Amino acid sequence: MSTTTVFTAKKIITMDRSVPEATHVAVRDGRVLAVGGPDCAAHWGEFETDNSLRDTIIMPGFVEGHAHLMAGGMWKYPYVGFHDRIDPEGREWKGVATAEAMIQRLKSTQTTSDGIIFVWGFDPIFLSSERLSRTHLDQVSCERPIAVLYSNFHVMCVNSAALKIAGYTDATSANGVVKDANGQPTGELQEMAAMFPVLRRMQIDFRALSQNRYALENYAKVAQRAGVTTITDLYSMLEDEDLDLMFAVTGQKTYPLRIVAALGAGAAPKTVADRALALAHKSTQKLRLGAVKIMTDGSIQGMTARVRWPGYLDGHANGLWNTSPAEILALTHEMQRRNIQMHIHVNGDEAAEVALEALADAACAHPWPESRHVLQHCQMMDRALFHKAAKLGVVCNLFMNHIWYFGDKHATVTVGPDRAARMNALRTALDEGVSCAIHSDAPVTPLAPLFTAGCAVNRKTMSGKTLGKNERISVAEALELITIGAARSLHLDAEIGSISPGKRADFAVLGEDPYFVAIEELSKIPVLGTVFSGRTHLL
Amino acid sequence: MKRLPLSVIGGFLGAGKTTFINRLLTANHGMRLVVLVNDFGAINIDASLLQSKREDTIEMTNGCVCCTMSGDLFFTIGDILDRTERPDHLIIEASGIADPAKIATVALAEQELRYAGILTIVDGLNFPIQISDTAISDQLKSQVKCADFVAVSKTSPDQENVKQALTRLSVSAWTSADDIAILQSLLFANAILKPPKSEHTGSHPEYVHWSYAAPTAMTQSDILQRFEVIPNGILRLKALIPCDANHAWEIHLVGRHKTIEKCTAPHKFGIVVLGHDASISEIEIKNWWLHS
Repeated sequence: MSTTTVFTAKKIITMDRSVPEATHVAVRDGRVLAVGGPDCAAHWGEFETDNSLRDTIIMPGFVEGHAHLMAGGMWKYPYVGFHDRIDPEGREWKGVATAEAMIQRLKSTQTTSDGIIFVWGFDPIFLSSERLSRTHLDQVSCERPIAVLYSNFHVMCVNSAALKIAGYTDATSANGVVKDANGQPTGELQEMAAMFPVLRRMQIDFRALSQNRYALENYAKVAQRAGVTTITDLYSMLEDEDLDLMFAVTGQKTYPLRIVAALGAGAAPKTVADRALALAHKSTQKLRLGAVKIMTDGSIQGMTARVRWPGYLDGHANGLWNTSPAEILALTHEMQRRNIQMHIHVNGDEAAEVALEALADAACAHPWPESRHVLQHCQMMDRALFHKAAKLGVVCNLFMNHIWYFGDKHATVTVGPDRAARMNALRTALDEGVSCAIHSDAPVTPLAPLFTAGCAVNRKTMSGKTLGKNERISVAEALELITIGAARSLHLDAEIGSISPGKRADFAVLGEDPYFVAIEELSKIPVLGTVFSGRTHLL
Repeated sequence: MKRLPLSVIGGFLGAGKTTFINRLLTANHGMRLVVLVNDFGAINIDASLLQSKREDTIEMTNGCVCCTMSGDLFFTIGDILDRTERPDHLIIEASGIADPAKIATVALAEQELRYAGILTIVDGLNFPIQISDTAISDQLKSQVKCADFVAVSKTSPDQENVKQALTRLSVSAWTSADDIAILQSLLFANAILKPPKSEHTGSHPEYVHWSYAAPTAMTQSDILQRFEVIPNGILRLKALIPCDANHAWEIHLVGRHKTIEKCTAPHKFGIVVLGHDASISEIEIKNWWLHS
C-alpha cells in the first residue's frame, strides 16, 4: 500500500477558493490526498508526518507560461548583464553598468579550454559610458578571441582577435559588420549573418544552448530557485533526438520540473499540424507535448513589433512580420480544425488584432469551444482587443516584467507615456473577463514569478516611476495568475495550479507570506525550494 | 578548401519558390546541390531520381540533397561547411515573409562561402494586389529590391500590371520563372563557354550572352580597373583569367556583388557574361572587356 505523508506548514495558501488556507496537506502517490488541519488525513489510514516545512509558507508550485530552455543553457557561459542575476547554483552575478566594469569582469573571467572568452546578457540600452567596441575588449586580451553577446541575442561585440579569426577587415562588405569613421570594423556585429562566422570559429552553437543535458538540468535548478514546478519551452524544434534526451532527463524520478514544450510553427500548416499531433501522443507526466507556437511580429524595444497608428514615437518604420497575416490565417485554420492549441506571439497591437481576427475566422469555420488558444505577450492590447479575446475564449499571457525592465524606455523612446501607461493592461483584461497569465520570457528577463507578480501589483519601472497606476491588480489576483491562471493557459488547471485534493503535489516553499509583506517587497520573498509530486527539493 | 557558393530564393507565400526548387533539383545541370527548404510538403521528386527519403532529408541519384531547416539556419549552414565533401552549390529557400538579404549576408561575412545571388520569385497573378496591402507591402518590396535576379511565375512576364508593379520598384530586368535554363545560368554560371539553351524556343530574346575563351593574363589591379568602368545591365559574370604560371583569377559578379580570388590554374580559361537586352547589348559587353 502507498504511504501517506502529511506536510505541516506555518500556512498553506491553496489558491483553492473553497479552502483558501490550511496548515496541513496530505500527499499520496505524488498527489494531494487531503488539505486542512492536523487531522486532514484522518479518514485515509496510516500516515507519516513531515515537519521539514513547518516554518514555511506553502503555495501551489508556480507555473511559468512563457519561458525558453535557453534560460538553463546560457549559464554555461559567464553573465555580464546590467542587472544582478542569480545562477542555477545560487551564485549572484553582479550587474555590469559601464564599459570599464565590463573590462574588469572579463579580466577575471576564466578562459574556456579552447582559449576563448564568451559572455552573455549585456544590454547597451543601460550602458552609462561610451558604446562598447573592440578597443575595450582588446584591453582584456589581444590574443584570445572574446565575444560579448547582447541580451537581445541579435548583436554582439568582439575583440580584434575575434575579428581576425573571422577574417573581418576594412574590406568586409557584409551588412552588420559595423565600421568606424576610418572604415575599420568596430567589433560590433549585428544580426546572426554577421555574428555567425565568429561564433562558428569559437565553436559556439546556439542550438546546443537548449538541446543538451546541461540546459535541461539547469532549467530545473533555475526553476527550483524561483518556486516553479511547471514551465514552458515556447518554440522548440522537438526533433526526435532532442525528444530522446528530454524524455530521459525529465523522466528521472528526482527531476523536479514539468516542461510544456510547444512546437515552433516553421513549416506549412499541414506539416506543423501532423507533427504536433504525433507529438501529443508522446506526452509524459513531466514532458507535455502537442501545442504549437506561432511567431507573428518582433519586439517593441527593438521597434520590430507591428504597431497600429500612430506607430513608434520617433516615426520609426513599422515593425516586421515573421509570419505574414495570410500565413497566420492559414495556420490558425489548420490548428483549429485539428484541435491543436496555439500559442501566438503578439507584441504590437496590430499583431494582436491580426491574430484575433484569424482566430475568430477559424472559430467560425471549425467550432471548438474549449480551444483555449493563447496570445503571448499582448503588450499593447487595448480594451477592445481584450474584449474580443474574452468573447473568443482566448487566453492572454502578458509580459509583465517589461514594465520594470523596459517601462521607462517605452515611455520615452518607443511608444510614449500614454500608450506605455496602458502596456500590459492587466486590470482592463481581467475586467473584460479575459483568462490571463503573466510571464518573464526567461532568459529575456529572469525567471521569478513572485517578481512578475510584483510587477503586476506595483507597475514600478526601474527608475521608480509607477507606469499606469490604474492597471495595477491586487496581490490575490497576481498570485492567482502565477498559479492557476498560468496552469489554465496550458490546459493543466485540472492537474496543477492549486493545492486541492486530486491534484499533483507540486508546491512552492516560501520564507514569508505574500499577503503579509509590503507589496513593494513581494519580489523579495525568499524561495526556499519546491515540492514536486510530493518529493521535497529544498535549496 | 573551395568556397561554397550560396544563393537564396525569396518570394512571398505561394509565389512559386517550391515549384522552382523542384525543377532545379531535377534539371540537367550536373551540379551537386544542397537545398534547404522550410517544408517538404510540396517537394515532389520523381521516384526514378529518388535515392532515399528520410524525415528531414531527400537524397537524389543525381547527387543533389534537399533538407528541411531545423533549428537555427546559420548553424545548419555551418554543418554543411563542415562536411568532409562540400556540395557544389548551396540553395536556401527563404520563408514567405522573410528578407532574403538577411540570409544572403552570411555569404559576404563567412569567408568559406561565396555570394551567389538572391533570386526573388514574384507571383505573376497576385503580386500587384499583394503589393498594395499596406500590412505587408514594405516587406514584399524589400524582397524584390534586394534581389539580384527577379523571376515572374504563373503568367507572362509581360503582363501589364506585373510590369507596372515591378517598374515602380525600379526593377528593369526580370525573367519567367519557367525559364529554368536562364535561371540556372544566372545562379550557377556553370555553362562557362557554353551559351544557355532554352527549353522553350531555343533562344533568349530578353537576354544577351557573351563569352570569350582566350582571356589574357591580368593582375588584380588590371581587374579592378576594368570593373571600375563596367557598363550597366550586366547581371552575371564568371571568369577564369590567367594570373601567373600556376594560378588563375576566379571572378564572379552577381548583381552588385563581386568576388575575385586566386585559384590554381584550370584546364580552360574563359569569361561568360549575361545581361538583359533592355539594358545592354552583346557588343557593349565585348567592347568593355576587350577594348576598355
